[in-house]
Formats: sequence, structure tokens, C-alpha cells
Amino acid sequence: MTIDKAVITAAGPSQRTLPLQHLIDRDGQDRTVLAILVEEASKAGMKEVAVIVHPGDESACASAAEGASVKLHFIPQTAGPGYARAIWSARDFTGADPFLHLVGDHLYVGSEPGACAARLIEVASRERCAVSAVQATHESLLPNYGAVGGQPLAGHTDLYSVDRVTEKPTPTLAERSLIVPGLRTGQYLCFFGMHVLTPTIMDVLDSLLASDPIPPPSISSALETLAARERLLALLMDARRYDLGVNYGLFMAQAALALNGRDRDEVLTRLVQLLAASPARKVNL
Amino acid sequence: MDRLIAIITSDDEAVRNTPLDAALEGLESNQLLQAAQSLDAFRRETTNLYHRVRALFFLSSIHRYSLPRLGRAPAFGHIPFRAYIQLLDRRFEESISILLNTAAADGPSEALSSALAAAYRGLAFQTLADQVRRSVRSISGNQWMFRCGHAADYPLRLHPDLLLRESSRFPILRETTPVRMDLSHSAWSDIFFLGMDYPEGARVLNISIDLAISGRGEPRPPVEAHLRVIDRPVLRLVSVDLNAQVELSAVAEVFDFAKDYLGLLKAAVIASGIVPPGMEGATAPLAPLLERLTGRPGHGLEIVSKVNDIPKGSRLAVSTNLLACLIAACMRATSQVSHLTGAMDEDDRRLVAARAILGEWLGGSGGGWQDSGGVWPGMKLIRGVQAQPADPEFGISRGCLLPRHELLSEDRVPPAVQKLLQDSLVLVHGGMAQDVGPILEMVTEKYLLRSAREWEARSEAVAILDQVLDRLAHADIRGIGSLTQRNFDSPIQTIIPWAGNHYTQLIINRAKAEFGPRFWGFWMLGGMAGGGMGFLFDPEIKPLAAIRIQQILSETKRELEGGVPFAMEPVVYDFRINPCGSWSELVPAGDALMPPAYYVLTAPALLRRESRSLTPAQRADLEHFGSRSRHGGEWAAAGSSLIDHLLPEAAHSRIASDSLDCLLESNGFDRLQHEQIRADMKSGRIGLAQNRLPARARITNVEPGELPGIDGVHSRFVAIGQDALAQGSVAAISLAGGAGSRWTRGAGVVKALNPFCRMAGRHRSFVEIHLAKSCKTSRPYPLPIPHVFTTSYMTQRPFEDTLARESSFGYQGPLHLSPGRSVGLRFIPMARDLRFAWEETPQQILDVQKQKVIESLRAGLIQWALAAGEASDYRDNQPLQCLHPTGHWFELPNMLRNGVLARLLDERPSLTTLLLHNIDTLGADIDPGLLGFHLDSGAAMTVEVIPRLLDDRGGGLARVDGRIRLVEGLALPDERIEFDLSFYNTGTMWIDIDRMLAAFSLTRAKLADHASVDAAVRDLAARMPSYVTLKDVKKRWGRGQEDIFPVAQFEKLWGDMTALPELDCRYVSVPRLRGQQLKDVAQLDGWVRDGSAAYVESLCDWDR
Repeated sequence: MTIDKAVITAAGPSQRTLPLQHLIDRDGQDRTVLAILVEEASKAGMKEVAVIVHPGDESACASAAEGASVKLHFIPQTAGPGYARAIWSARDFTGADPFLHLVGDHLYVGSEPGACAARLIEVASRERCAVSAVQATHESLLPNYGAVGGQPLAGHTDLYSVDRVTEKPTPTLAERSLIVPGLRTGQYLCFFGMHVLTPTIMDVLDSLLASDPIPPPSISSALETLAARERLLALLMDARRYDLGVNYGLFMAQAALALNGRDRDEVLTRLVQLLAASPARKVNL
Repeated sequence: MDRLIAIITSDDEAVRNTPLDAALEGLESNQLLQAAQSLDAFRRETTNLYHRVRALFFLSSIHRYSLPRLGRAPAFGHIPFRAYIQLLDRRFEESISILLNTAAADGPSEALSSALAAAYRGLAFQTLADQVRRSVRSISGNQWMFRCGHAADYPLRLHPDLLLRESSRFPILRETTPVRMDLSHSAWSDIFFLGMDYPEGARVLNISIDLAISGRGEPRPPVEAHLRVIDRPVLRLVSVDLNAQVELSAVAEVFDFAKDYLGLLKAAVIASGIVPPGMEGATAPLAPLLERLTGRPGHGLEIVSKVNDIPKGSRLAVSTNLLACLIAACMRATSQVSHLTGAMDEDDRRLVAARAILGEWLGGSGGGWQDSGGVWPGMKLIRGVQAQPADPEFGISRGCLLPRHELLSEDRVPPAVQKLLQDSLVLVHGGMAQDVGPILEMVTEKYLLRSAREWEARSEAVAILDQVLDRLAHADIRGIGSLTQRNFDSPIQTIIPWAGNHYTQLIINRAKAEFGPRFWGFWMLGGMAGGGMGFLFDPEIKPLAAIRIQQILSETKRELEGGVPFAMEPVVYDFRINPCGSWSELVPAGDALMPPAYYVLTAPALLRRESRSLTPAQRADLEHFGSRSRHGGEWAAAGSSLIDHLLPEAAHSRIASDSLDCLLESNGFDRLQHEQIRADMKSGRIGLAQNRLPARARITNVEPGELPGIDGVHSRFVAIGQDALAQGSVAAISLAGGAGSRWTRGAGVVKALNPFCRMAGRHRSFVEIHLAKSCKTSRPYPLPIPHVFTTSYMTQRPFEDTLARESSFGYQGPLHLSPGRSVGLRFIPMARDLRFAWEETPQQILDVQKQKVIESLRAGLIQWALAAGEASDYRDNQPLQCLHPTGHWFELPNMLRNGVLARLLDERPSLTTLLLHNIDTLGADIDPGLLGFHLDSGAAMTVEVIPRLLDDRGGGLARVDGRIRLVEGLALPDERIEFDLSFYNTGTMWIDIDRMLAAFSLTRAKLADHASVDAAVRDLAARMPSYVTLKDVKKRWGRGQEDIFPVAQFEKLWGDMTALPELDCRYVSVPRLRGQQLKDVAQLDGWVRDGSAAYVESLCDWDR
């Protein structure tokens, strides 16, 4: 299975400006989030990247991704709202090919740029099926993510066969149907924001979106259907993902990049100075 | 003894079901003690929960029943005070160790066995309760809530549809839930312990129903919950039917269950995870949690509960289903249940039921596993489930905590059945609201002991359920009526005779008499009869029967209410089988209004505030209510009620106060004495701590060898006694002026008249039993024994009515009532006395969760005492509940003052001796041997005492500064002393009339001189100590709701007469069966099982 196309979703009303934000990358360069994401895809071997944008955001996104080493497509999401529709907007671009999917409001920090996507693509190519990157996540963060339930794949320590996918599950539901052997109590496999999807996903989305449901379906419900039709694996990533859309999300992503990059010592020193200068406050735990 | 262990561990059902009594038959006491030793070792070693628990119940039964029955061990024994304290603290293991060590050192005794029986029993129930608690926590879907301890980890978010605001107001989620009734519960097989040990026998036929009080509209789901977002960062809880509301702003307040009437709502909030149980003990405010929940700073949640016209004690599991209803609403709102509106799917219903069990445990109550059946629709068979390897219960118990619900499809129950049932069944609330808890404990114990009769009855109940299913399939309602009647008559009352009562039996008899074969059968709903009940009739006469049953219930209640505790007027319901189960709808913000009664309750406080201090949502809500109330109907009525609520209820209070003052006036209330007691209480001169004898008093035990026993006196003195009886020189005095607070927990009915036990084919009261004994004693002699019942303001009228109605129960001898001549007005207690009672004297510690509830309640009651005014008059209740009898010291002097003694002596000049006893000392009779002993001794008074067992608390026989006398428990300077006393006071005394009159400085001749009598009584009363005591008083309100308040009163006690130096008192040790007192309903089962009831019955002659 050859994977050389990527789809980045950046059209959500509340996230459309996030890919345009500027951060200092690991090399100390001022770059947009979108440019960093495109680089992640590019270093993983992608040749073409489609960015799904809010209609009218094409030029802003194009300038944010300027200098990319891959061929870029900017596809406006015109069919209606929703994450699932955003992916569905790329159906002409992906055609009959499997593709890498990244979300535009997350940043991935692994051992080196592109390492996360590369690892995912390596597994998907080997296993010849769709694979979702996941991360063990504390139950208090369940309201932010989709989560999967399943069984460890024999002979692997980081691969799971997925049989249940739920969008933002309550801890009650998670405890009843998403417990995965081997994880710590109160931890669940939540999406990392990175998937390799097979063309079947577009068929699934076709049928899910046919009736124009309200609320629009989530990618989780599409993946649950996908898992019923063909093999879906979850890959436990040891890298970290940073949700830029939450409070202090950009700040944390920036700190993570800096602490994993060239200027680590300088940033660390400044952080320690900042801590030392901050007045002591009682923390109510 | 290996046989007992083999019974417990056997895989063979027949062996496992061997009754304990059969296994122990023929064993001598040393063999029993060996068996107990082996069992104790076994229960310490075994890892199997139910083996351990069954061994504990076996041990308890051996010590409580088997060993005393043989009567080989000495009656006397020293129960170490430390063991008692450990028992109170629920440290049963430690207590057992101390008691076993004492037994090893001192030898076995009945006293030690009584304490060991209590300790083993307590440990058995504690072990079971701990297991249920663990199982509740280990259910998947519940565990996360125990891990979440901080708002930062809080994972729930409100469903976005609940945040769709319109004109400052948010939508309202409205959940409605039916209640349940059981066609059969297979003899309480839904008790968790039974279901988890005997899943194959745990089956309940459960029907979800809607209700309406007959004639008040269409039946509807009886419980409702409403939930909405509010624009204040608080958790606002409102119970419309309990008239209670509170705004909580701190996490700790949510866990304070007994602070107000909103404990059920708090339990729902916690069990649903909105405030997870893992946060208990946190000092954090609620606002951060509510902000995460709603996603909006400054916003909170309002949860409102409403019960539609069903009183407490309905036996329809109203509180469990209300809890489930509230939990369902909270779980829908937080997306833990998959559908925000409409019905729930099976998984979600099971989840809600599991959370309801958790909520019951949190609130310190505990229903059966099928009680939340209202969450499911229609008719269902609920059955226990064998634990499988994947279940958390596997390897611990045979069954799972949660049962399986199987909705009965049309091929098993034809659709016509529903209408046929509705056309035949008259569903009622009989008006009694009793605590079913003790019954459930008895059932558990009997199940684990496998007593032969009870086990057969259980098997019969299981078979009846199959027969009911069969009759349902054939749409044979008449057959069902016959089966439910048989179920009640046979297995249910065989296992627990107390599940039925005199009231219920009378109603059934009257229904049978009036409707003959067209009355198809009685149907006990829930755990016991008296509250919710069903009567099945031929559909042709059902409309008439419904009217007549209401009349029969009301008439029978009026007849019995003097001696039977009713909480409310009986009602007949219309009902309908609910086809949906718990159901929810979302009312959009634009139309969202709470129920009309909500505004009657909450609006007055808002209207009294400056309008600018109202939040936009509050203002909009009030405007909307105002607008709706102009449209008429129930909303307009709510508007009128609101006006009434805004005005104080002066007129009503004045009427109650006037009535109380009249009662005081007419019952000889001594205002001067009352004011003196108030002043003394306030100044600290009297109080609970001051009741005690001075610490310098030398109090020592009277050793067993120092008193004659009945065996030693009996044969010698029988002839003397018989001669006195033949001459008509003895009368019986039964003290019945008190209310018997412990019997009905302060319900204010007359214990003496309570038909509590079935003897010779029907329920008998204390009075009837005492008269039956006097009848039997009189039988061989020419002159019947005069019998006097002393009464008080509280008991006189009910006594008169009952004796008139029952023709004095056929008693042929002279029968007198001696009305009380003194009355006190209760006080609001001093906070220091409450603290003394609850904090400085040894207290029974309850199960962890119940203890939390009671501690919260006690803190609230201390605040109540301070707010209401310490030592002020207690007037906030029914007038009769504000008065108190002034102690049984006055009851004999009252006979002097009211002329009853003079009349007795006129009628029977040969009278020389009185047998004085408490109404609850049922074994006391005019025994010729004891009478002869007393007469021969020439004593003024002979007191009967018994060897002390664990439960004999409240003083005893002691040597105080060299003189042998009775000492009240209240007067002992230290609780430990009581445990050194060998003898307990039975309250039964033989009194020489002339010598007693002499102690009052009176003679027979002077009894006609009222002034001299009054002065003599006053003078002696002044020499008697006054004790301040706390009594529980029930205050009834709403629909069957009851609060219990501790109030202060004073009393003088007859036992202190033994301290008078001029009164020659003797003491005699009598057997327990004769001397024991029946104080508490919870004693009844043991009283029957240990042969006490049979002994009492052997003293009676019913054939009059």
C-alpha cells in the first residue's frame, strides 16, 4: 500500500485561524502552524497535500504554507459544516488512494519533524489497512477527543485492533466499553489527530452524509462504521500531540517545540527565571 | 463441629440447605461450644464471603438460641465493658476476641453468649454490607466516579441542547418515571444478599404503574425530575413535595445528606457523577466544577423533584424510583445516557439502576435490587444472575449484584391482561408507614440459617411465582388473586409473621365478609403490609368495591388508631400500567416552566427581594410564570396559593396553641414546677450529666449468691401464695401511662393497645395478654383478680374506647383504669444535653454511610435546639406530642389520688398485696410461689430481678453506700459500673399495701381524705430524684412524612423507692422468660424464636 497523499482539515469555524498562527519551530525559525504540519507530511514522504479550508481562506492559507516542498491543494469546504464533511470534501483529491490525515488544530512533537507521520505510514503500509494514531489519555480529558476500544494485536506492544470508536465519550461509557488491556486505570486510547485512511472512508462518509443529518456525523462515527467493514488499527504513539484550540494550547505547543529544539537551554533558563520571579500562590488541590 | 462446616461448604444443595436446628439436634452444651469453636476458626480462615457470613449467622444463632435453650451454662457472667464499647463502635472482630478470651478464662455463661450472639450477628451484616458496597463500586461505569477527586479532573460536560438559551432562560429537561408494584417478590428474594447468594431463587414479577388518587384525574407517572441550567454558579436543589429548597456552593454541602430534606436529591447528584463520590471530603467550592460542567463561568444547575400524590411508606418504591428518575435526568443531561429524550435503551436502564443502588447506599438507605423497576416499562420478570468469570463478583458470591430484567412479551402475557388487571385491582395506601429495614434483616438471617419451615416457605414462594406467570399467560386474574392471597397467608407470614398485622387482617376479613367469592384475593405490595396493598375483585363489582374499601380502611383506621401507628389517612388509587418506563422530554427555553407548585415554593423569597437583585433568568422565569398564571387552570391556582404562602399562618398556630393550653389545664399541669425545671435546666443545676449519683457514692455489685432464686423459693411458698389468692388478697397493676416511645419511635400511639403478635389465632395487644394471664390465674379461685391499668392523658381515652369496643376482652374480674394526675410540657433540649447524649455517652455507631447521615442530622438538631431556644417550651407539634408523662413513680401515687386504690379496697377489703409491673413485662403473672415468698418475708416491697444479659441496659441492682437498692442507668456515675452489676431490674414488684401506705404516712382510712393524700404524695415526691431525659418525638407533616426531634422532659422513677431507708425491700431472682421486657419491635422475632412467646401464651387463658 503506497501512501503519498495527505489531507489537513482547517475549515472548522472555531479553528480556521489556528493554522495561520506563528510559532518558533524546533530550529528557531518563525513559521506558521500550517507550514509545520505540511512539513510533518512532507518529511513522511507525502507528495501532495490537500488543505481543507473555509471558503475564502484559500489565499491566507496559501501564504501561510508558502515555501512548502510538496504540491499543495486548497479545497474549500462548501458542502456544509462538520469534521466528517471536511474530509469528504477531499474525495476527489484522494480518489482511490489511501491517504494520511492530519487535523489543522493539533501540533505533533516527536523525536524529530515528520517522525510521527512516518511511523504511522510505516505501520499502515505494512499492515495494509487504516490506522489511527492514539495516545493514552486521562479520563478527565475525554470531553476533548474521540476514543477507541479494542484488543492488543498479538506480537505488538503498540498496536490495537479497534472494535469501538466513540466521539468524546463520557467516562461512564468509556469505562463500560472502551477499556483496553494494559493501560493504567482511568486511561483511554484517544485520537492523536492523525490517521491513515483507506478509500472506504469516503464510501462510509457518502452513506453517512446522504441524509444530511443534524447534528453532522463525527469522524468517530465514520471510523466505527469503517471498523465494521474492514480492519482498523490503532497505533499508540510515544510522541505528544498538542491541541491548539484549548486554553493555553498554543502556548503549550510553543513550549513543547522550544523544549524539543535548538533553543531548549535558553528557553528552559527563561522559564526557570519566570518561575522564580512569580509570587507564590496557594494552589487549591 | 465438622458437620456444620460441611453444610456450609457442600456442593450438594440438599446438604447445603440443611436447617441449622436439625444439624444441632441432640447436641449437649459442650458439643455446641466445640461446634462454635470450630466454626469460629473456619470463618476466620475461609476466603469465601458467603461461607464466612453463614458461619457467622450459625455462631450467632448457637449463642442466641441453642445454648440458652439447653440452660446448662450459668446465667451470670461478666461482659467486659471494653467488648461492649467495641460492639458499639462496630469493631466486631475485636469485641469477639475479648468475649472469647473472657469465656476461656471465666467459663461460658448466658451473659457472654448474649454478647457473642450480638457481635457475630453484627459482623455478619457488616460483612454483607461491605461486599455490596464493594460490588457497587466495582461495576464498570461507576468506578471512575470514585477516582475523580478534583474539579481539574472533572470529565462531564452538559449536553449542548441544554445550553440553548432564549431570553435569559434555558431549556428544561423533564424526566417522568412510574413506580413499581410486585406481583410476587419470591419472599423478599430481591434483598441483595439473597440475590447474590441464591440467584436461582431470586425472581420478582414487577409492574411499572402510573397513579392518581381515586377521583383526582387520570393516572400519570408518579415521580418527576426537572433539570435546567441557571445563571448563578450554584447547585440549586428543590423538592416541591417536601417544600424544601437549598442552594449549594461548596462540594462538602452536597455530601451533607441529613442537613435538610434534600438528601435524596443530593444522593442523585452524587450517584449520577455530577458531583462524583470521589470528591467527598473536598473543601473546594462548586463553581469551578459547575463551570466545567456547563462550559460557562457563573452558571450552575437547578434540579427539582416532584412526587405526585403518593405518601411515604407506599411500598411502591417511590423513593428509589424518584432517585432513579433524578439520576436518569442527570445522566441524560451529561450524555452518560445515550438518549437525551424519550425512553432509554436496556444498557442505559441498567446503568441508571446501578447508579440508583449506589445512590441508596450513599444516602444510607437500601432498597432491593428490583426497586428501580419503574425505570423499565410494563411487566417484567427480574431475576438474579449467576456470576460469570468476567463479572467482578465471580469467586466472591454466586450471583451478581445487578439482576437481569426480562420484559414480558405478548406471548407470555396477553395484551388483555393489562386491562383485566386494571379492572380488578383496587390499589390502596392503608395509611401505615413503617420501616421495613428490620424485616429485611430478619429475612436475610432466616435464609442463611435455612430454618426448616422458613426454607419450605421460601420454596413455596418461588413456586407461586411460576404459578402467577402461568395464570398471567391464561389471563386468569381470579387465579392470580388466589395466588397472591396464598402467598401472603402462607410463605410470607411463615417467614416473617410481622409482614402482616392486625389492621391488614381486619381489612381482609371485612372484605371477605362483604364481598364473599367476588373478592378474589389480597396482594401485599413490597416488603410488608399496612401501606401499599392491593385487593383483587370481580371486575363487575370493582367500582363499588373501590368505594367500600376506602370506607373500610378509614373505619378500621379510626377503630385502631389508638394503638396502631398510622402516618396518614388511607387512600385508594386509580392506576394504569406504564408502557414506557422512565421517559424524558426537553422543553425549549421559550416554553420552559417548572411545575406550578415550584413557583408557590420558590417565588415568595424572590418576590421579597429587590427586583434589581434578581438574575436575568430569575426575572424572566417569574415573568413567564406570571404570564402563564393569567391563563387559568392549575397555573392560576398556583398564583392564588402563592399569595397564601406570602402571608404568615397566624390563625392556624393560634388554634394549636389554644388546644395545648387547654390540655395542660385539664391534666393538672404544674406551671410553677415547670418554670423551676426550666430555670434549673438553663442554669445547669439539672441535666443529663446531673442525673448521676455523686462520684463519691460507693456502688458495688450484689453477687448472684446473695439473692434467693425462684427455684429456691418456689416449692416452699406456693401454698402460702395459693391461700392468699383464694382469699382474694392480690391485685395486678399494669403500668401503662407511658407511650412506649421505642415501640413506635415516638409516634404517640398507645403501645399497650398495639396488637403486635398473633396468639391463639389472632393478633393480641399487651392489654389483652395481661388480662388473659389474670384470667388464667383467677381460674382455680373463687374470687377473680382485680386488674388495674394505670393511664395518662395520652392513654386514658384510647384505653376507654378499646375496652368498651372489645368488651374488656371478656375479662370477668374487676377491671379499673387509673387515670394520671400529672403532666409535663416538653422542652426544647439544651444543646449541652444533646452533646452529652451523643458525644459523651457510648453510642451505637452505624454503618459508615448511615453514620455520616446521622452525624449530619445530629449537628442539624443541635442547631435546631439553639435556634428554637434551649429550655423553651416545645409547642411546635400536635398538642398531645408536646406533653409528657412525668415518670412511673407517679403512677401508684395517682391511684391514691384518683381514688382507684380506695375503690379497690372497698370492693375487696381482703386485698393486701399488689403485683406492679410494666406493660411490656409480658411474662409477669401472679405466681403463687413468688407471692408466697413475698408474703412470708413480711417485706413492704419485693422486687424481681433477672441475671443481666447484653441488652439489659438502664441500671440494675447494686449496693450503694452499703444499702442494696435499684439504681437507674441514668444515675450511674460511670457507664462501666452497669457492666459490673449482675442483676437487671425487671420493673416487677410485689407491694404490701399497708406498708406502702405507711411510707406515704397514710393508712387505708386516710385514703378518703384527698387533702391528706395530696400532701402525702407531694412530700414523698420531693424526696425522689427528678431525672432529665431526652425522648424522640415524631412530628408528622406533608404526605406521610415524619421528622423525629429529641425533646427534654423530666421524670421520677419508682425504682428509687428502694432507696428509702424506712421501706423494707427484698429482691428475688426470677427466670428471664418471666422478667424480660419487650421494648422494641425489632425484638419480636427473637422473642418468638427463643420460646418467650410460647411461654407467655402458656400463661394465658383466651377462653373467657
